[in-house]
Amino acid sequence: MTSETSERPSWPFERRCPLSPPPAFAELREKEPITEVTLWNGSSAWLATRYEDIRALLVDRRLSSDTSKEGFPQSSATVVAQRGGQKSLPRMDPPRHDEHRSMLAADFMIKQVRKLRPYLDELLDRVFDEMAATKGPVELVTALAQPIPANVITELLDLPREHSEFFLDRVNTWMSLDSTPEVAAKAGGDALEYFDQLIGDRMENPGDDLVSRLIRERMNTGALSRPELQHMLHLLLIGGFDTTANMISLGTLLLLENPDQLDQLKADPGLAPKVVEELLRYLSVAHHVAFRLSTEDVEIRGRCIHAGDGVIAPILAANHDPEVFPDPERFDIHRDARGHLAFGYGLHQCLGQPLARVELQAVFARLFVRFPNLRLAVNSDQLRFKNALIYGVEEMPVLLD
Amino acid sequence: MSETRIAAHRERCIGAGNCVEVAEKYFDQDDANGTVIVLQEVPDPGDEGLVSQAIDICPVAALYSA
Repeated sequence: MTSETSERPSWPFERRCPLSPPPAFAELREKEPITEVTLWNGSSAWLATRYEDIRALLVDRRLSSDTSKEGFPQSSATVVAQRGGQKSLPRMDPPRHDEHRSMLAADFMIKQVRKLRPYLDELLDRVFDEMAATKGPVELVTALAQPIPANVITELLDLPREHSEFFLDRVNTWMSLDSTPEVAAKAGGDALEYFDQLIGDRMENPGDDLVSRLIRERMNTGALSRPELQHMLHLLLIGGFDTTANMISLGTLLLLENPDQLDQLKADPGLAPKVVEELLRYLSVAHHVAFRLSTEDVEIRGRCIHAGDGVIAPILAANHDPEVFPDPERFDIHRDARGHLAFGYGLHQCLGQPLARVELQAVFARLFVRFPNLRLAVNSDQLRFKNALIYGVEEMPVLLD
Repeated sequence: MSETRIAAHRERCIGAGNCVEVAEKYFDQDDANGTVIVLQEVPDPGDEGLVSQAIDICPVAALYSA
Protein backbone atom coordinates (compact mmCIF):
# COMPACT_ATOMS: atom_id res chain seq x y z
CA MET A 1 0.00 0.00 0.00
CA THR A 2 1.11 3.59 -0.54
CA SER A 3 2.01 5.87 2.27
CA GLU A 4 -0.08 8.90 1.28
CA THR A 5 -1.68 8.72 4.62
CA SER A 6 -1.54 12.19 6.13
CA GLU A 7 -5.36 12.36 6.39
CA ARG A 8 -5.63 9.06 8.12
CA PRO A 9 -5.69 8.66 11.88
CA SER A 10 -2.49 7.29 13.40
CA TRP A 11 -2.59 4.05 15.33
CA PRO A 12 -2.59 3.56 18.33
CA PHE A 13 -5.14 6.03 19.70
CA GLU A 14 -4.72 7.80 23.02
CA ARG A 15 -7.05 7.45 25.93
CA ARG A 16 -8.46 10.56 27.58
CA CYS A 17 -9.72 8.92 30.78
CA PRO A 18 -7.54 6.10 32.05
CA LEU A 19 -10.29 3.50 32.41
CA SER A 20 -12.23 4.39 29.26
CA PRO A 21 -11.45 3.57 25.62
CA PRO A 22 -9.84 6.21 23.40
CA PRO A 23 -12.63 8.59 22.29
CA ALA A 24 -11.58 8.04 18.66
CA PHE A 25 -13.25 4.62 18.70
CA ALA A 26 -16.70 6.13 19.27
CA GLU A 27 -16.18 8.82 16.61
CA LEU A 28 -15.03 6.32 13.97
CA ARG A 29 -17.75 3.83 14.85
CA GLU A 30 -20.29 6.50 13.88
CA LYS A 31 -18.54 8.05 10.89
CA GLU A 32 -16.45 5.35 9.30
CA PRO A 33 -16.67 1.98 11.05
CA ILE A 34 -14.19 0.36 8.67
CA THR A 35 -11.37 2.85 8.17
CA GLU A 36 -7.72 2.99 7.28
CA VAL A 37 -5.16 4.01 9.88
CA THR A 38 -1.47 4.79 9.62
CA LEU A 39 0.99 2.68 11.56
CA TRP A 40 4.31 3.69 13.14
CA ASN A 41 6.35 2.78 10.04
CA GLY A 42 4.11 4.69 7.62
CA SER A 43 2.26 1.62 6.37
CA SER A 44 -1.50 1.41 6.75
CA ALA A 45 -4.03 -1.08 8.08
CA TRP A 46 -7.81 -1.42 8.24
CA LEU A 47 -9.37 -0.67 11.61
CA ALA A 48 -12.80 -1.95 12.62
CA THR A 49 -14.68 -0.35 15.52
CA ARG A 50 -18.11 -2.05 15.55
CA TYR A 51 -18.80 -5.21 17.56
CA GLU A 52 -20.43 -6.98 14.64
CA ASP A 53 -17.52 -6.28 12.27
CA ILE A 54 -14.84 -7.12 14.82
CA ARG A 55 -16.52 -10.46 15.52
CA ALA A 56 -16.87 -11.16 11.80
CA LEU A 57 -13.19 -10.37 11.17
CA LEU A 58 -11.89 -12.39 14.11
CA VAL A 59 -13.85 -15.48 13.07
CA ASP A 60 -12.74 -15.18 9.42
CA ARG A 61 -10.18 -17.86 8.57
CA ARG A 62 -8.89 -15.86 5.61
CA LEU A 63 -7.17 -13.56 8.11
CA SER A 64 -3.80 -14.82 9.33
CA SER A 65 -2.19 -14.37 12.76
CA ASP A 66 1.28 -15.30 11.56
CA THR A 67 3.48 -12.28 12.32
CA SER A 68 6.32 -13.70 10.22
CA LYS A 69 4.28 -12.98 7.07
CA GLU A 70 5.40 -9.99 5.00
CA GLY A 71 3.27 -6.92 5.72
CA PHE A 72 1.83 -8.09 9.03
CA PRO A 73 0.57 -4.94 10.80
CA GLN A 74 2.32 -3.94 14.03
CA SER A 75 1.97 -0.90 16.26
CA SER A 76 5.65 -0.16 17.05
CA ALA A 77 9.21 -1.45 16.71
CA THR A 78 8.96 -2.78 20.26
CA VAL A 79 5.85 -4.79 19.37
CA VAL A 80 7.67 -6.22 16.35
CA ALA A 81 10.40 -7.43 18.72
CA GLN A 82 7.85 -8.76 21.24
CA ARG A 83 5.81 -10.70 18.72
CA GLY A 84 8.80 -11.70 16.60
CA GLY A 85 10.15 -13.92 19.36
CA GLN A 86 6.80 -15.61 19.83
CA LYS A 87 6.18 -18.84 17.98
CA SER A 88 3.21 -20.19 19.88
CA LEU A 89 -0.56 -20.53 19.44
CA PRO A 90 -1.48 -16.83 19.09
CA ARG A 91 0.84 -16.57 16.09
CA MET A 92 -0.23 -19.80 14.36
CA ASP A 93 -2.82 -20.45 11.69
CA PRO A 94 -4.76 -23.68 11.15
CA PRO A 95 -4.16 -26.56 10.84
CA ARG A 96 -1.06 -26.29 13.07
CA HIS A 97 -2.86 -23.99 15.49
CA ASP A 98 -5.70 -26.46 15.99
CA GLU A 99 -3.30 -29.38 16.52
CA HIS A 100 -1.36 -27.49 19.18
CA ARG A 101 -4.42 -26.10 20.89
CA SER A 102 -6.05 -29.52 21.18
CA MET A 103 -2.99 -30.68 23.16
CA LEU A 104 -3.82 -28.14 25.88
CA ALA A 105 -7.59 -27.71 25.65
CA ALA A 106 -8.51 -30.51 28.07
CA ASP A 107 -6.27 -29.12 30.82
CA PHE A 108 -8.07 -25.77 30.73
CA MET A 109 -11.63 -27.08 30.64
CA ILE A 110 -13.85 -25.51 33.25
CA LYS A 111 -14.37 -28.88 34.97
CA GLN A 112 -10.58 -29.26 35.37
CA VAL A 113 -9.98 -25.69 36.41
CA ARG A 114 -12.66 -25.81 39.10
CA LYS A 115 -10.55 -28.39 40.92
CA LEU A 116 -8.14 -25.53 41.70
CA ARG A 117 -10.75 -23.71 43.79
CA PRO A 118 -9.66 -25.17 47.20
CA TYR A 119 -6.04 -24.31 46.36
CA LEU A 120 -7.15 -20.83 45.36
CA ASP A 121 -9.10 -20.32 48.58
CA GLU A 122 -6.06 -21.26 50.67
CA LEU A 123 -3.89 -18.99 48.57
CA LEU A 124 -6.30 -16.10 49.05
CA ASP A 125 -6.39 -16.69 52.83
CA ARG A 126 -2.60 -16.53 52.91
CA VAL A 127 -2.39 -13.42 50.72
CA PHE A 128 -5.18 -11.64 52.63
CA ASP A 129 -3.44 -12.45 55.95
CA GLU A 130 -0.21 -10.94 54.67
CA MET A 131 -2.07 -7.84 53.51
CA ALA A 132 -3.78 -7.52 56.90
CA ALA A 133 -0.44 -7.79 58.70
CA THR A 134 1.05 -4.89 56.72
CA LYS A 135 1.40 -1.60 58.60
CA GLY A 136 0.12 1.43 56.72
CA PRO A 137 -0.94 1.43 53.06
CA VAL A 138 -0.79 -1.80 51.07
CA GLU A 139 0.40 -1.72 47.46
CA LEU A 140 -2.32 -3.82 45.85
CA VAL A 141 -0.49 -4.76 42.64
CA THR A 142 2.41 -6.49 44.40
CA ALA A 143 0.41 -7.62 47.47
CA LEU A 144 -2.58 -9.18 45.68
CA ALA A 145 -2.91 -8.71 41.93
CA GLN A 146 0.40 -10.29 40.89
CA PRO A 147 0.77 -13.05 43.52
CA ILE A 148 -2.58 -14.69 42.72
CA PRO A 149 -1.97 -15.55 39.04
CA ALA A 150 1.77 -16.01 39.66
CA ASN A 151 1.09 -18.68 42.28
CA VAL A 152 -1.60 -20.35 40.20
CA ILE A 153 0.62 -20.69 37.15
CA THR A 154 3.58 -21.94 39.18
CA GLU A 155 1.21 -24.47 40.81
CA LEU A 156 -0.09 -25.54 37.40
CA LEU A 157 3.41 -26.02 35.96
CA ASP A 158 4.79 -27.27 39.29
CA LEU A 159 7.53 -24.64 39.45
CA PRO A 160 9.30 -23.44 42.60
CA ARG A 161 7.27 -20.54 43.99
CA GLU A 162 10.39 -18.41 44.41
CA HIS A 163 10.80 -18.34 40.63
CA SER A 164 7.73 -16.18 40.24
CA GLU A 165 9.77 -12.99 40.85
CA PHE A 166 11.97 -13.81 37.89
CA PHE A 167 8.88 -14.35 35.73
CA LEU A 168 7.21 -11.17 36.91
CA ASP A 169 10.24 -9.13 36.02
CA ARG A 170 10.73 -10.72 32.58
CA VAL A 171 7.06 -10.69 31.63
CA ASN A 172 6.62 -7.05 32.67
CA THR A 173 9.69 -5.98 30.72
CA TRP A 174 8.66 -8.02 27.70
CA MET A 175 5.11 -6.60 27.73
CA SER A 176 6.09 -2.97 28.25
CA LEU A 177 5.79 -0.68 25.26
CA ASP A 178 8.31 1.58 26.99
CA SER A 179 10.97 -1.13 26.61
CA THR A 180 13.33 -0.73 23.69
CA PRO A 181 13.02 -3.51 21.08
CA GLU A 182 16.33 -4.96 22.30
CA VAL A 183 15.32 -4.99 25.96
CA ALA A 184 11.89 -6.52 25.16
CA ALA A 185 13.49 -9.21 23.00
CA LYS A 186 16.06 -10.00 25.70
CA ALA A 187 13.36 -10.36 28.39
CA GLY A 188 11.35 -12.68 26.13
CA GLY A 189 14.50 -14.67 25.39
CA ASP A 190 15.34 -15.07 29.09
CA ALA A 191 11.92 -16.54 29.83
CA LEU A 192 12.16 -18.86 26.83
CA GLU A 193 15.58 -20.02 27.99
CA TYR A 194 14.11 -20.84 31.42
CA PHE A 195 11.60 -23.17 29.79
CA ASP A 196 14.26 -24.95 27.78
CA GLN A 197 16.08 -25.68 31.03
CA LEU A 198 12.82 -26.76 32.63
CA ILE A 199 12.13 -29.25 29.82
CA GLY A 200 15.64 -30.69 30.29
CA ASP A 201 15.06 -30.95 34.03
CA ARG A 202 11.68 -32.67 33.69
CA MET A 203 13.07 -35.10 31.11
CA GLU A 204 15.49 -36.24 33.79
CA ASN A 205 13.07 -36.00 36.71
CA PRO A 206 9.56 -36.58 35.36
CA GLY A 207 6.51 -36.10 37.54
CA ASP A 208 2.73 -35.96 37.17
CA ASP A 209 2.67 -32.27 36.29
CA LEU A 210 1.52 -30.72 33.01
CA VAL A 211 5.09 -30.17 31.75
CA SER A 212 6.09 -33.80 32.33
CA ARG A 213 2.88 -34.99 30.72
CA LEU A 214 3.46 -32.84 27.61
CA ILE A 215 6.99 -34.23 27.34
CA ARG A 216 5.78 -37.80 27.72
CA GLU A 217 2.67 -37.67 25.56
CA ARG A 218 3.56 -35.04 22.96
CA MET A 219 7.28 -34.43 22.70
CA ASN A 220 8.43 -38.03 23.04
CA THR A 221 5.83 -39.13 20.49
CA GLY A 222 7.08 -36.59 17.96
CA ALA A 223 3.90 -34.49 17.95
CA LEU A 224 5.82 -31.51 19.37
CA SER A 225 9.45 -30.52 18.94
CA ARG A 226 11.39 -29.34 21.97
CA PRO A 227 11.34 -25.68 20.79
CA GLU A 228 7.59 -25.95 20.14
CA LEU A 229 7.03 -27.18 23.69
CA GLN A 230 9.29 -24.41 24.98
CA HIS A 231 7.16 -21.76 23.25
CA MET A 232 3.97 -23.45 24.41
CA LEU A 233 5.04 -23.27 28.06
CA HIS A 234 6.16 -19.68 27.62
CA LEU A 235 2.69 -18.88 26.31
CA LEU A 236 1.05 -20.43 29.37
CA LEU A 237 3.20 -18.17 31.50
CA ILE A 238 2.56 -14.91 29.68
CA GLY A 239 -1.08 -15.70 28.99
CA GLY A 240 -1.91 -16.50 32.57
CA PHE A 241 0.08 -13.90 34.39
CA ASP A 242 -0.15 -10.27 33.51
CA THR A 243 -3.68 -10.41 32.08
CA THR A 244 -5.26 -11.67 35.30
CA ALA A 245 -3.02 -9.49 37.48
CA ASN A 246 -4.11 -6.33 35.67
CA MET A 247 -7.76 -7.37 35.82
CA ILE A 248 -7.48 -7.73 39.61
CA SER A 249 -5.94 -4.28 40.17
CA LEU A 250 -7.95 -2.36 37.57
CA GLY A 251 -11.11 -4.26 38.54
CA THR A 252 -10.68 -3.22 42.16
CA LEU A 253 -10.13 0.37 41.05
CA LEU A 254 -13.22 0.40 38.83
CA LEU A 255 -15.33 -0.99 41.67
CA LEU A 256 -13.98 1.66 44.06
CA GLU A 257 -14.94 4.32 41.53
CA ASN A 258 -18.48 2.93 41.38
CA PRO A 259 -19.43 2.71 45.08
CA ASP A 260 -23.12 2.01 44.40
CA GLN A 261 -22.16 -1.11 42.44
CA LEU A 262 -19.52 -2.09 44.96
CA ASP A 263 -22.07 -1.86 47.80
CA GLN A 264 -24.24 -4.38 45.99
CA LEU A 265 -21.31 -6.77 45.66
CA LYS A 266 -20.48 -6.34 49.35
CA ALA A 267 -24.09 -7.12 50.26
CA ASP A 268 -24.15 -10.17 47.99
CA PRO A 269 -20.79 -11.73 47.08
CA GLY A 270 -22.78 -14.20 44.96
CA LEU A 271 -22.88 -11.40 42.37
CA ALA A 272 -19.14 -11.94 41.72
CA PRO A 273 -19.58 -13.88 38.44
CA LYS A 274 -21.73 -11.09 36.97
CA VAL A 275 -19.36 -8.44 38.30
CA VAL A 276 -16.42 -10.23 36.69
CA GLU A 277 -18.09 -10.36 33.25
CA GLU A 278 -18.84 -6.64 33.37
CA LEU A 279 -15.29 -5.88 34.54
CA LEU A 280 -13.93 -7.96 31.66
CA ARG A 281 -16.13 -6.13 29.17
CA TYR A 282 -15.50 -2.67 30.52
CA LEU A 283 -11.74 -2.92 30.99
CA SER A 284 -10.81 -5.22 28.05
CA VAL A 285 -7.21 -5.18 29.28
CA ALA A 286 -5.88 -6.96 26.18
CA HIS A 287 -6.17 -3.67 24.33
CA HIS A 288 -3.32 -4.32 21.89
CA VAL A 289 -4.29 -7.72 20.53
CA ALA A 290 -6.30 -8.77 17.47
CA PHE A 291 -3.98 -7.79 14.64
CA ARG A 292 -4.35 -9.85 11.48
CA LEU A 293 -3.09 -10.03 7.91
CA SER A 294 -5.57 -10.76 5.14
CA THR A 295 -4.54 -13.64 2.88
CA GLU A 296 -7.44 -13.14 0.42
CA ASP A 297 -9.75 -10.32 -0.59
CA VAL A 298 -12.36 -9.92 2.15
CA GLU A 299 -15.41 -7.72 1.76
CA ILE A 300 -16.82 -6.07 4.84
CA ARG A 301 -19.41 -3.30 5.11
CA GLY A 302 -18.92 -2.45 1.43
CA ARG A 303 -15.13 -2.11 1.72
CA CYS A 304 -12.64 -4.51 0.20
CA ILE A 305 -9.76 -5.62 2.38
CA HIS A 306 -7.26 -6.88 -0.16
CA ALA A 307 -5.00 -9.87 0.21
CA GLY A 308 -1.86 -8.58 1.95
CA ASP A 309 -3.65 -5.80 3.88
CA GLY A 310 -3.31 -5.49 7.62
CA VAL A 311 -6.38 -5.58 9.87
CA ILE A 312 -6.88 -4.32 13.41
CA ALA A 313 -9.97 -5.57 15.24
CA PRO A 314 -9.69 -4.20 18.80
CA ILE A 315 -11.76 -6.01 21.41
CA LEU A 316 -11.85 -2.81 23.48
CA ALA A 317 -13.77 -1.09 20.65
CA ALA A 318 -16.17 -4.04 20.28
CA ASN A 319 -16.88 -4.14 23.99
CA HIS A 320 -17.90 -0.47 24.05
CA ASP A 321 -20.20 -0.59 21.03
CA PRO A 322 -23.51 0.97 22.16
CA GLU A 323 -25.44 -1.17 19.66
CA VAL A 324 -24.62 -4.23 21.76
CA PHE A 325 -23.90 -2.70 25.17
CA PRO A 326 -26.20 0.32 25.62
CA ASP A 327 -24.58 3.26 27.41
CA PRO A 328 -21.26 1.40 27.26
CA GLU A 329 -19.31 3.83 29.47
CA ARG A 330 -21.63 3.04 32.37
CA PHE A 331 -20.27 0.27 34.57
CA ASP A 332 -23.36 -1.80 35.29
CA ILE A 333 -23.00 -5.17 37.00
CA HIS A 334 -26.59 -6.08 36.09
CA ARG A 335 -26.23 -5.79 32.33
CA ASP A 336 -25.88 -8.95 30.25
CA ALA A 337 -22.17 -8.61 29.47
CA ARG A 338 -21.51 -12.28 28.67
CA GLY A 339 -21.23 -11.69 24.91
CA HIS A 340 -18.15 -9.48 25.41
CA LEU A 341 -15.01 -10.19 23.45
CA ALA A 342 -12.54 -9.57 26.29
CA PHE A 343 -11.00 -13.00 25.65
CA GLY A 344 -11.01 -12.40 21.91
CA TYR A 345 -13.11 -14.26 19.37
CA GLY A 346 -12.51 -16.83 16.69
CA LEU A 347 -10.09 -19.71 16.98
CA HIS A 348 -7.57 -17.64 18.96
CA GLN A 349 -9.99 -16.94 21.77
CA CYS A 350 -8.17 -17.25 25.09
CA LEU A 351 -7.34 -20.82 26.06
CA GLY A 352 -7.13 -19.95 29.74
CA GLN A 353 -10.42 -18.09 30.09
CA PRO A 354 -11.97 -20.64 32.49
CA LEU A 355 -8.88 -20.27 34.70
CA ALA A 356 -9.05 -16.47 34.53
CA ARG A 357 -12.75 -16.56 35.46
CA VAL A 358 -12.21 -18.89 38.41
CA GLU A 359 -9.38 -16.68 39.73
CA LEU A 360 -11.25 -13.40 39.25
CA GLN A 361 -14.50 -14.74 40.67
CA ALA A 362 -12.70 -15.98 43.78
CA VAL A 363 -10.89 -12.66 44.28
CA PHE A 364 -13.94 -10.44 43.81
CA ALA A 365 -16.24 -12.70 45.86
CA ARG A 366 -13.84 -12.48 48.82
CA LEU A 367 -11.74 -9.30 48.71
CA PHE A 368 -14.40 -6.90 49.98
CA VAL A 369 -15.78 -9.42 52.47
CA ARG A 370 -12.36 -9.62 54.09
CA PHE A 371 -11.63 -5.89 53.69
CA PRO A 372 -14.98 -4.04 53.54
CA ASN A 373 -13.29 -0.66 54.09
CA LEU A 374 -10.68 -1.12 51.36
CA ARG A 375 -10.10 2.24 49.66
CA LEU A 376 -7.44 4.12 47.73
CA ALA A 377 -4.65 5.62 49.84
CA VAL A 378 -3.97 8.31 47.20
CA ASN A 379 -6.12 10.40 44.91
CA SER A 380 -6.99 8.46 41.78
CA ASP A 381 -5.40 11.17 39.62
CA GLN A 382 -2.02 10.24 41.14
CA LEU A 383 -2.18 6.71 39.72
CA ARG A 384 0.05 5.88 36.77
CA PHE A 385 -1.20 3.55 34.06
CA LYS A 386 0.85 1.11 32.02
CA ASN A 387 1.92 1.65 28.47
CA ALA A 388 1.97 -2.05 27.67
CA LEU A 389 0.47 -4.81 25.54
CA ILE A 390 -1.86 -5.54 28.44
CA TYR A 391 -3.36 -2.49 30.14
CA GLY A 392 -2.94 -1.99 33.86
CA VAL A 393 -2.07 0.30 36.73
CA GLU A 394 1.58 0.52 37.81
CA GLU A 395 0.99 0.82 41.55
CA MET A 396 -2.14 1.08 43.64
CA PRO A 397 -1.71 1.95 47.32
CA VAL A 398 -4.80 1.11 49.36
CA LEU A 399 -5.89 1.34 52.99
CA LEU A 400 -7.64 -1.64 54.52
CA ASP A 401 -8.93 -0.58 57.97
CA MET B 1 -44.10 -27.15 15.13
CA SER B 2 -40.90 -29.01 14.50
CA GLU B 3 -38.52 -29.54 17.38
CA THR B 4 -35.31 -27.53 17.55
CA ARG B 5 -32.28 -29.71 18.08
CA ILE B 6 -28.82 -28.61 19.20
CA ALA B 7 -26.02 -29.84 16.98
CA ALA B 8 -22.25 -29.33 16.75
CA HIS B 9 -19.58 -29.23 14.07
CA ARG B 10 -17.13 -31.08 16.30
CA GLU B 11 -14.26 -30.70 13.84
CA ARG B 12 -14.48 -26.90 14.20
CA CYS B 13 -14.55 -26.91 18.00
CA ILE B 14 -11.45 -25.54 19.74
CA GLY B 15 -12.59 -26.47 23.25
CA ALA B 16 -12.90 -22.90 24.53
CA GLY B 17 -15.76 -24.11 26.72
CA ASN B 18 -18.04 -21.07 26.56
CA CYS B 19 -21.06 -23.30 25.93
CA VAL B 20 -20.32 -25.33 29.06
CA GLU B 21 -19.97 -22.21 31.16
CA VAL B 22 -23.26 -20.79 29.92
CA ALA B 23 -25.35 -23.97 29.68
CA GLU B 24 -23.75 -26.85 31.56
CA LYS B 25 -26.93 -28.90 31.36
CA TYR B 26 -26.62 -29.14 27.59
CA PHE B 27 -22.89 -29.28 26.92
CA ASP B 28 -19.80 -31.07 28.18
CA GLN B 29 -16.24 -31.41 26.87
CA ASP B 30 -14.33 -34.51 25.84
CA ASP B 31 -11.77 -35.41 28.52
CA ALA B 32 -9.14 -36.16 25.89
CA ASN B 33 -9.14 -32.96 23.81
CA GLY B 34 -11.80 -30.61 25.15
CA THR B 35 -14.09 -30.98 22.14
CA VAL B 36 -17.78 -30.27 22.73
CA ILE B 37 -20.24 -33.02 23.59
CA VAL B 38 -23.95 -32.23 23.31
CA LEU B 39 -25.60 -33.79 26.37
CA GLN B 40 -29.18 -33.02 25.52
CA GLU B 41 -30.26 -32.16 22.00
CA VAL B 42 -33.72 -30.81 22.68
CA PRO B 43 -33.91 -27.78 25.00
CA ASP B 44 -36.35 -27.97 27.90
CA PRO B 45 -39.17 -25.42 27.80
CA GLY B 46 -37.86 -22.09 29.08
CA ASP B 47 -34.22 -22.88 28.26
CA GLU B 48 -34.35 -21.62 24.67
CA GLY B 49 -32.67 -18.30 25.56
CA LEU B 50 -29.86 -20.02 27.41
CA VAL B 51 -29.22 -22.43 24.56
CA SER B 52 -29.32 -19.71 21.94
CA GLN B 53 -26.79 -17.67 23.96
CA ALA B 54 -24.50 -20.71 24.15
CA ILE B 55 -24.76 -21.11 20.38
CA ASP B 56 -24.18 -17.41 19.75
CA ILE B 57 -21.07 -17.01 21.89
CA CYS B 58 -19.22 -20.00 20.46
CA PRO B 59 -16.09 -18.29 19.11
CA VAL B 60 -15.78 -20.57 16.08
CA ALA B 61 -19.46 -21.04 15.22
CA ALA B 62 -19.24 -24.75 15.98
CA LEU B 63 -22.81 -24.92 17.39
CA TYR B 64 -26.11 -24.58 15.63
CA SER B 65 -29.71 -25.52 16.01
CA ALA B 66 -31.40 -27.58 13.35
